[in-house]
Amino acid sequence: MPIPSIIAEKLVYRYGSLLAVDQISFQVASGEIFGFLGPNGAGKSTTVKMLTGQLLPQSGQMTILGIDVARHPKRVQARIGVCFELTNLYETMSGAENLHLFARLFGVRSFDADALLRRVGLDGRGKDKVEGYSKGMKQRLMVARALVNQPDVLFLDEPTEGLDPTSAQAIRNVIREEQARGATVFLTTHDMHEADMLCDRVAFLDRGTIVALDTPHTLKQQYGERMVYVEVLAPDGSLQRREIMLDRADTPAEVAALLQGEQVVTLHSAEATLEDIFIRITGRGLAS
Amino acid sequence: MSLYRVGVLLYREMVQGPKNIIFIFAVVVPLVLSLVLALLFGTLFSGKPRLGIVDEGSSQLSQAAAAMTSIRLTSFATQVALEEATRRGAVDMGVVIPAAFDAQLAAGQPTTMVAYVWGESLLRDRALLGTALVAWTRQIAGQELPVTLTTTMLGDTVALPWQDRILPLLILMSVVFGAMMLPASSLVSEKQHRTLTALAITPATTADVYLAKGLLGVGLSTVMALVVLALNGALNERTGLVAGVLLLGAIFSAELGIVMGALVKDINSLFATIKAIGLLLYAPALIALFPDIPQWIARIFPTYYLVQPVIEIVQHNARLADIAGLLGVLLALIAVTGAILALLARRNYRLGTV
Repeated sequence: MPIPSIIAEKLVYRYGSLLAVDQISFQVASGEIFGFLGPNGAGKSTTVKMLTGQLLPQSGQMTILGIDVARHPKRVQARIGVCFELTNLYETMSGAENLHLFARLFGVRSFDADALLRRVGLDGRGKDKVEGYSKGMKQRLMVARALVNQPDVLFLDEPTEGLDPTSAQAIRNVIREEQARGATVFLTTHDMHEADMLCDRVAFLDRGTIVALDTPHTLKQQYGERMVYVEVLAPDGSLQRREIMLDRADTPAEVAALLQGEQVVTLHSAEATLEDIFIRITGRGLAS
Repeated sequence: MSLYRVGVLLYREMVQGPKNIIFIFAVVVPLVLSLVLALLFGTLFSGKPRLGIVDEGSSQLSQAAAAMTSIRLTSFATQVALEEATRRGAVDMGVVIPAAFDAQLAAGQPTTMVAYVWGESLLRDRALLGTALVAWTRQIAGQELPVTLTTTMLGDTVALPWQDRILPLLILMSVVFGAMMLPASSLVSEKQHRTLTALAITPATTADVYLAKGLLGVGLSTVMALVVLALNGALNERTGLVAGVLLLGAIFSAELGIVMGALVKDINSLFATIKAIGLLLYAPALIALFPDIPQWIARIFPTYYLVQPVIEIVQHNARLADIAGLLGVLLALIAVTGAILALLARRNYRLGTV
């Protein structure tokens, strides 16, 4: 059995009296896209900081690609790529200069900045100073920078937050390409829709602990309720909405009665979203 | 630590550095101050030592002086005129050569030569003229000196010339400001723009980052300090030793700057800190400005051990052995500050503050 790319065992971190990460354990398989989901303050960023060697856990063990992160952070960092939530580019340098700088620091030989810029949709803008980039362009450059060393493990912290649909789609495409290349992707987000689209497995983090961890499909089956949404024409000519829960004993009879007794205009089924499941498990939404 | 990565980071600092206002200040301020002082005290455009001579015979000494292009020679008809000119500061030194001076020297007979020294003349000029006089006399005599040189100080004989007094301030401004502020401001700026976090997750170590930032400050400030010394006519034959001492001073200052950069969170806090400790940093130079203040007080301040060796070399022609004690203290300060820096880097990693 191959060694998991990421192993975290009983990680703990406190900021003073605040317990930010409380004994969390998980493993991420090689080539997997792993979603780390939770509201602000749940402990996502602290966990990523520990896994990427920026922060020393107060207890617990963690390895990336079989390397102990706490003991050999630089060996780990040479093989990972990190895209931060907040922009941290050299604004007075051009996009290409930013990439070249980091490629040199990673010791990458024969680095092709133009090809990487093309991958993230920034072709032709490499010579422009970053300070003139839009937010979406900066975010795409951040993703490109995380890829300069062709990382084995890619950490992405809210990579599409606040972006226009085109920029967000460009970044999602890159994530899928990286998975196809064989990289493991650790995606931190509170965008449940994005996690559902991209992730092989997701972990729900709440108040520093993992409250659920599985594939989105399994989580939906385990915690979600499938629904049928029906629009019917009322006698006064207005549209009325009906909701029928699936997977219950009386569901077939309820659907049959509706189809026979009412004039159905639209009918579609829907499964629970990851956000619905998160609320059901934690009792609170992602925005809290 | 990787020298290659230090080089990569240093190159970025050098390319981006000149866009930084601190970089411009580090270059411009000492230069402007030196030029203003040189204009005020006249050492830049009239830098040659001025010798006045009353030659009562026709001595070879006055011919040798006239042939020397590195001094400005003025002849006077009478001893009274020479004394008056020296008192006014028209010449740095005046000598009266007796009528039979050369003959007496050649015969090996004792003779007396009267010399006047302007009290506010630069130490460097006095030393140079004194040495030249001795050399010429020895040349005429063709043997060891049978001459007794009687020197009379005229003018303000207590006060050091302003040019000499202000030199420590200029050195400290060149070395401390550049070497300390450049790495400190660069580090804080990277913190504020979060680029330091981006560097932290590359194979570059904290030591690589600190060293690259420190090197720019050390290099620039050492060069600027040498330029300032040259502009002030303070460099002598021990330029190599001066450069070495300045380099050590710059290393110490850069370490202080990186410690500050590692501790403070934003540029406003950095400037507030600099304001708060500025007096301590420049205290040795400020004490040197006022000779009436007991000069031993300056020894309390760490930057004294940076500036004093330089002063000893350029004003008193000190050798390495003469300043070994001061350099020992400076090296100890460098070691202690380096240890503090290493502890800070470890602490920042533990706290995740980079």
